[in-house]
Amino acid sequence: MGKWWLLLAVLVLWLACGYAMLKPQETDGSPDVRRSCKPLRIVSMAPNLTEILFALGLDERIVGVTQDSDYPPPALTKPRVGTFWQPSIEAVIATRPDLVVTLAFQQHRELTRRLRRIGYDCLAVDIVKIDDLFSAIAAIGEATAANEQAQQLSRHIKTQVQRFQEATAGLPKVKVLWVVQREPLRIAPRDTFINEMIELAGGENAVGPTLRNYPPIGAEQVIAAAPQVIIEPVMVPRSPDTQRRQAFAYWQRFANVPAVANKRIYVIDGDVVSRLGPRLPVGVEIIAKCLRPELFGD
Amino acid sequence: MQPTLSPRTLLIRIITAGAFLVLVMLLCSLVGPQAISWKAVMHGPAGPADANPDYEIFVHFRVPRILLAALVGAALAGAGVVFQALLRNPLADPYILGISSGAGLGAMVAVVSGLSWTLWGRSPIAVFAFAGALGTVWLVWGIGRFAGKYHVTGLLLAGVVVNAFFSALIMFLASVAKTEQLYATMFWLMGNMLEEDFLVLWVGGGCVTAGIVGLFFLSPKLNVISVGYDDARSVGVCVERIELAAFAISAFITAVAVSLSGLIGFVGLIIPHAVRLVFGPDHRQLLPLSSLGGAMFLVVADTVARMVVAPAQLPVGVITALVGGPFFLILLIRYSRKVYWLT
Repeated sequence: MGKWWLLLAVLVLWLACGYAMLKPQETDGSPDVRRSCKPLRIVSMAPNLTEILFALGLDERIVGVTQDSDYPPPALTKPRVGTFWQPSIEAVIATRPDLVVTLAFQQHRELTRRLRRIGYDCLAVDIVKIDDLFSAIAAIGEATAANEQAQQLSRHIKTQVQRFQEATAGLPKVKVLWVVQREPLRIAPRDTFINEMIELAGGENAVGPTLRNYPPIGAEQVIAAAPQVIIEPVMVPRSPDTQRRQAFAYWQRFANVPAVANKRIYVIDGDVVSRLGPRLPVGVEIIAKCLRPELFGD
Repeated sequence: MQPTLSPRTLLIRIITAGAFLVLVMLLCSLVGPQAISWKAVMHGPAGPADANPDYEIFVHFRVPRILLAALVGAALAGAGVVFQALLRNPLADPYILGISSGAGLGAMVAVVSGLSWTLWGRSPIAVFAFAGALGTVWLVWGIGRFAGKYHVTGLLLAGVVVNAFFSALIMFLASVAKTEQLYATMFWLMGNMLEEDFLVLWVGGGCVTAGIVGLFFLSPKLNVISVGYDDARSVGVCVERIELAAFAISAFITAVAVSLSGLIGFVGLIIPHAVRLVFGPDHRQLLPLSSLGGAMFLVVADTVARMVVAPAQLPVGVITALVGGPFFLILLIRYSRKVYWLT
């Protein structure tokens, strides 16, 4: 029995020593304010953040981007710091950033916590809906001493987008089914920025409110929703042509759905419409062209 | 039969394996997606004016992560030995009694509920996973004891069913969760090695080491129990008490490991078998050597996971299965003539 008590005693002593030597750290408190007034080495942790930083004219000061940051073209020449989902903290630190811009969701919150713990400055912005985009642009402008450019950028995006809203005002809404995955069939529902883009382009979501985002739906719901237009953003590894061919073949099983009967199935560039960033007007324009080719077509 | 194990041989083998482990850890700490120079590391922390990224990467990220991998590997492999002995089942691993799904469910609940406090520097995911793991294993243990007093089938079945039930709950939560929450949990479920605070490593290391030492105290009795309960009773071993103690300790160290790093499969299954194939089934030797081997294996696997698609990284569970599977098959073919399995 003696050795068991000894083991327990050693363990307790060990834990006590640990707590005495290494105080528990509270890392979730307020972000440390080591922020230099004008950060010169900025790292972006998401493709849309990269686009925003470039749109603010910070090209020279960006020292790291994620693997999937491929727009604008100069972003391709920047050092890579891992993927959006699996950032490499070693690569981030090796760029010696004085500002790391992240998104405010679980995976990045973890990264932010770890970076702040050793004294790196992070800015976490939350970009879920279109309104968030403008506050994020303002926050990034604030943190990078580019307030002026940030205001300009927001204004520019707003006026561009308004064009489509005004052009379609008063016209009947086009019912859109936005397909993110075919097997199983998953769609973009109401509570997303994609829905907001559809509405800005003069359409409305064919599917009503759903419990969760990007839910799978059944064949019955497709028929009941009776979409006039079906839009599929390109799913990464496939070429648009292959996907278009497959899409037409797949949707033949819903021959009675208006969109299929009228051959109004569109396969569009996935990046522009899945990254909520400065290219928002481009995305809205692409959607508007799908909804009303007679009005916006070339 | 194998020749009997003298304490001296045992000690020499443990020390050799320990030295190997230290060597492997040193080598792996110098390898990473970012090349760092040893000289720059030795310079120590820089002043606030200019950073020393090499030192920061080494001290704040690489060393803690390697310590964590060693810790988790040792805990899983050690617990694997004990579960295989107690259940007298070569397919047993630390997750067999529902720990994995319990921890997974805990993590999922933490993510879905969107809590954001920390308890002693641990995130809600870790705390809930720990609680879920321990809670489930006690539930299974209770049911198993109630169902079959003298055979392990009841326990195993209870484990399988609870696993399936909790997996269904995880799926349900996954299908109502928001997309980004879902991804966060998925990475956790695949095994998520991150560097940790030194305090967390200190506490985790203490618990796991103490647990393995405790199991080592029990290992002579495990030798007898793994033959059969009746035989054990006939030579005067109090089976129930030993069993309970061994279960409690191994469930505890597994739960610690799981709460530190998510679900990392394969280590707890193949390392004990590999060591058994090479060194024989004596638990006094099997337990410490498996722990050290598990630590080494996971440190190497994690280094590969950090390197292979750098600067991104793979979940370490992918590597443990990819590397571990073929390696184990080779051992199986090479040593199959002198296999004693669990006798």
